[in-house]
Amino acid sequence: MKFKYLYLYLLSNLSASLLFGYLLLLVLPTFVLAQSEGKKIYDAKCLACHGAKGEGVKGKYKKLLSGDLTPNQLAKVIEETMPKDEPGSINATSSLAIAKYIHEDFYSSIARERNRPARVELSRLTVKQYRNTLMDLVGSFREKANSQEKSKGIKGEYFKARNLNKGDLVETHVDAEIDFDFKIEGPIVGKTEPHDFSIRWAGAIFAPETGYYEFTVQSSHSIRLWVNDAANPLIDAWVKSGKDTEFKGSLYLIAGRYYSLKLDFTKAKQGVNDNKKPKEVQPAFVKLLWKKPSGPLEICPSEYLTSNTFPEMFICSSPFPPDDGSLGWERGVTISKEWDQATTTGALEAAKYISKKLNEFTKTREGDAQRVEKTIEFLKKFAMRAFGRNLENDETALINKVMLEFKEPQEAAIRVIVWVLKSPQFLYRHEGGGDFIASQLSYTLWDSIPDQQLWDAETSGKLKNPELLRREIDRMLLDSRAKEKIRGFFHDLLLLNHTSELNKDAKRFPDFNPLLESDLKLSLDKSLDEIFWNKESNFQKLFLEDSVFMNQRIAKFYNQKLDAKTGFEKMNLDAGKRAGIVTHPYMISMLSYAAESSPIHRGVFLARSIVGVTLKPPPEAVAPLAQSLHPSLTTRERVIMQTKAGVCMTCHGTINSLGFTLEHFDAVGKLRTQDNSKPIDTSGSYVSRDGKKVSFDGARNLALFLASNRDTHRAFTEHLFHHLLKQPTRAYGPETLEQLTDYFEKNSLNMAKLASEIARLGSQKVVAQPQKLTKQPLQSP
Amino acid sequence: MNQLNRRNFLKTAGISTTTIPFLGNLEAFAAPGKAINKQRMVIFFSPNGVVPEAFWPQEEGENFQLKEILAPLEPFKNQTIVLNGVCDKVRGDGDNHMRGIGCLLTGIELFPGNVQGGSHTPAGWASGLSIDQEIKNYLQKNEATRTRFGSLELGVLVPDRADTWTRMSYSSSNKPISPINDPYQLFAKLYGQAKDKEILGSVLDPVIADLKRISSQLGKEDRKIIEEHTGFVRDMEKELRNLKLSNNHAMPKLEPGIREDNENLPKISRMQLDLLHNSLQADFNRISTFQFTNSVGMAKMKWLGIEEGHHQLSHEPDTNKVAVEKLIKINKWFCEEIAYFAKKLKNTPEPNGQGNMLDNTLLVWTNELGKGNSHTLDNIPFVMVGGNLGWKNGKSHKFTRTSHNRLLIAMAHGFGHNIASFGNVEYCKDGPLVLS
Repeated sequence: MKFKYLYLYLLSNLSASLLFGYLLLLVLPTFVLAQSEGKKIYDAKCLACHGAKGEGVKGKYKKLLSGDLTPNQLAKVIEETMPKDEPGSINATSSLAIAKYIHEDFYSSIARERNRPARVELSRLTVKQYRNTLMDLVGSFREKANSQEKSKGIKGEYFKARNLNKGDLVETHVDAEIDFDFKIEGPIVGKTEPHDFSIRWAGAIFAPETGYYEFTVQSSHSIRLWVNDAANPLIDAWVKSGKDTEFKGSLYLIAGRYYSLKLDFTKAKQGVNDNKKPKEVQPAFVKLLWKKPSGPLEICPSEYLTSNTFPEMFICSSPFPPDDGSLGWERGVTISKEWDQATTTGALEAAKYISKKLNEFTKTREGDAQRVEKTIEFLKKFAMRAFGRNLENDETALINKVMLEFKEPQEAAIRVIVWVLKSPQFLYRHEGGGDFIASQLSYTLWDSIPDQQLWDAETSGKLKNPELLRREIDRMLLDSRAKEKIRGFFHDLLLLNHTSELNKDAKRFPDFNPLLESDLKLSLDKSLDEIFWNKESNFQKLFLEDSVFMNQRIAKFYNQKLDAKTGFEKMNLDAGKRAGIVTHPYMISMLSYAAESSPIHRGVFLARSIVGVTLKPPPEAVAPLAQSLHPSLTTRERVIMQTKAGVCMTCHGTINSLGFTLEHFDAVGKLRTQDNSKPIDTSGSYVSRDGKKVSFDGARNLALFLASNRDTHRAFTEHLFHHLLKQPTRAYGPETLEQLTDYFEKNSLNMAKLASEIARLGSQKVVAQPQKLTKQPLQSP
Repeated sequence: MNQLNRRNFLKTAGISTTTIPFLGNLEAFAAPGKAINKQRMVIFFSPNGVVPEAFWPQEEGENFQLKEILAPLEPFKNQTIVLNGVCDKVRGDGDNHMRGIGCLLTGIELFPGNVQGGSHTPAGWASGLSIDQEIKNYLQKNEATRTRFGSLELGVLVPDRADTWTRMSYSSSNKPISPINDPYQLFAKLYGQAKDKEILGSVLDPVIADLKRISSQLGKEDRKIIEEHTGFVRDMEKELRNLKLSNNHAMPKLEPGIREDNENLPKISRMQLDLLHNSLQADFNRISTFQFTNSVGMAKMKWLGIEEGHHQLSHEPDTNKVAVEKLIKINKWFCEEIAYFAKKLKNTPEPNGQGNMLDNTLLVWTNELGKGNSHTLDNIPFVMVGGNLGWKNGKSHKFTRTSHNRLLIAMAHGFGHNIASFGNVEYCKDGPLVLS
């Protein structure tokens, strides 16, 4: 652990921003409101004239009770003037109690703000949405990536001479990874000469997160690597010079997408063809590695490689300030100067990219007589797709005029694009107002703009037909962008986005290293993908799944035997003793200290993320009791000792009794039978919102409880709703959450169905007639 | 669109290059104490050796005649220095073309590698930095001589492949610098920021109109965020306006759509030279390399009536008079480009200083070989025009097999950077070449 003190309530691996969000959550109305003394007196003595919430009563006192007096000032007014027919009858103590109650409940401006009915707010694109939208907007003018099943591994073409000429091709096959030591003999003995061969690997690579990726090629000989941009190599080490054998290049990639990748290797000399067999042949090796935005330098895993081809993507890499995450999900409800400046940089970045390749986008060339017309046509389409509607006459006129003024298509294009991308019509989304169903759906499920098919469904009126709407939603769910959005949802839910490197005690767990950690994260992603995108998409499987995806490294660490050399296989681990993703080795390791388990981290996670309990922060920050100070105690005993005070137990009652059930798992997620040489007590309990107390013992019983409890169903529904729509459920009606939870339970807890229903519900929120601006019907952009 | 025009304040009316000479002078008021003139250096490279008989002056000393290839320098003869007898003695891996360009400014061996030339062993990149980078680093270290870029590495039709034959400038051992070939790319480097601001200025009105339109459709609560947004856009408008007021350097105009191909070589050469002139004048950089094609360059100078590639011609024997004539023409053409640049500098008063820009800018013209058909690294062409490195101008030198490392050292010394050696110390024994 990096920090000297760890606070009991703070998940050690979580960032400060999460803590911040956690605190802010407290201002949200909680489901249990204490009946205060003040309320009792108010209801008895004041309500008749002022109404239950100070709203006033016709014929008695009409005005709203609100203002800027402090509770003490208010108390004085009450004591001296109230009630109207019997001033002075309420004593000072009671007056203060009333004052405190109404100040807190509805009188003060803060209380009024809090009581404002939730509504769908005008939101700008979140950063994720912005980057996705630009990528898809630009990409909509290019050939579509094939969405067929992605093969794992990358295609390798092996040539018997230096220049990768078709005529010299001797073999083509898929390589799981690029991690080769050809030694002196070369790759295919008998088909290639040891001193004169070349190889081309071509396909694509998947980016599991957004940020800068550092690619590294280690090779004894010449290499060139292209990623996304087929014209300009990311790494060019075609000239072999001196002793360097490691070459690097960095590139910003956006999560959830595949990017074309090509690696050329040649063992032969460049320049004049003088490939006489040398007296002494040098050994050859080549390896393709990367460092993800978070994670160690590792061989690019076969899981992320494919032989499928992908078109070049536009990647907006301009830095943006982070979105407001104070409610636990990213929202675009606030703006700042930094954000405005970032949209300028982003607009310029995109405009320059497009204008540089304008001929490609407008399907024209230098000297084409139609070049100006084609450019105008392109720019109009670009603006329509960006705004998600038809263009107004003055907008079309603007494009024509810019073209007329600047003549040179590239100059005109750059200006029009900057205008479009700086326009609020592009930057904001208006779920409650002007947006079309198509846009609502695409942002809900893809965090991006609609594709052509979705626009066509909109213009043909299909989306107004409930059956066809469902079908369209189902199609959208199959898209890789929906998969990415769901993956992002789980990362939020499981707090994975807030996790930096897991540092484990090197003495106790010498083999737990960053490479293993990276594999474990991928293993967890694979489980989540599989469970969610399975036909049943069964929520209960999240807790009841027995197996863990393992590769060689994971299997070795958890003492399993795996035959496959590369890639992952699903393997049973401690059958019947685990709780699905809750006890996935990555989750357990994350919810632990460096050397010891942490029932409190685990309990807080279960309470907040899984069962949906609102927890207050502890009254004071406390450092955990060091194990070394209490060498005879188990972790459970230490936690009980430290949190036994009444003030702690209001929350730790819930936290501890959930967290203790996972005590069979040590700090790296291995099953154990003893803690500190003592038997382990894994009994725990939970009091549901309906007041029933449930007891369980151990991870499996916890899992069975979580899988079938209404509170966890509701919590999951709410988390998914927030993540998809980025608006509070109450904005869609006070009953929305319970109704959706009912829907979820009635539909066999099918998570994909729930997502589909949330998307449908969100798309029905179009209250105003969209496209107020345009009289003519929407054309498919 | 009238609005767009009105707002288009950053697209200044007079942004043609003619306004530039007056702009730099503004600095004079800002830095009154600076008496010493700037020192600049531009190293030109053309490939495949020269035709010695039509190149080297017969005479030694101050009275000399310029031969045909150097004739375009006649107007600047009293500022011209010709160095005969300077040899690239660096040996090791690589053929003479490779070492010719790779060791020319580095004075040090190439690494062993996998690039195979027509003879000798294969080689990689140079094992040290080049003199232009050495001097640039020196100038950038000092506040008084630091400039925005320090140096520019420019090219004209350098082929789009990175190998030993195409790289002359090295930032360090094994780190060749790719020259900027594309005038539009160079323009973006020099004026990209100013251009961005101009573009932003031109879209302000439509953006503000859009904000108003959106705002009118929203309820009171949602309008707040749009009002805030409008405030940021207004801020940007103010910033752009302030910037416009303080902007004392306007952008040159570039003819659009010139493709990089052999036919456009003369046009691209002039575009690059004009931009380099602007950049030096604006004091964006003090050092530059300017590389015509590459070692073994294949330019076909059809505009001179020459259909064969340059390198191919350079292999012809001396007895092929037609080929020799063509080679003279080709080399003379390169010389004309340098004369064009010299003239441009000469016609530009030194901003913030005395005399004209040529007085303070050393132009060096060199080549990877002494002579094309023999591939000799002896008598490497070094012709210098202008500059203020303290060298005696208007002189023809004849040295005896003198290592070119000594010239590289002399360049550094000319800038006040008194290094004892540069490149391989073996060839630095007698110190800087004395050119007074």
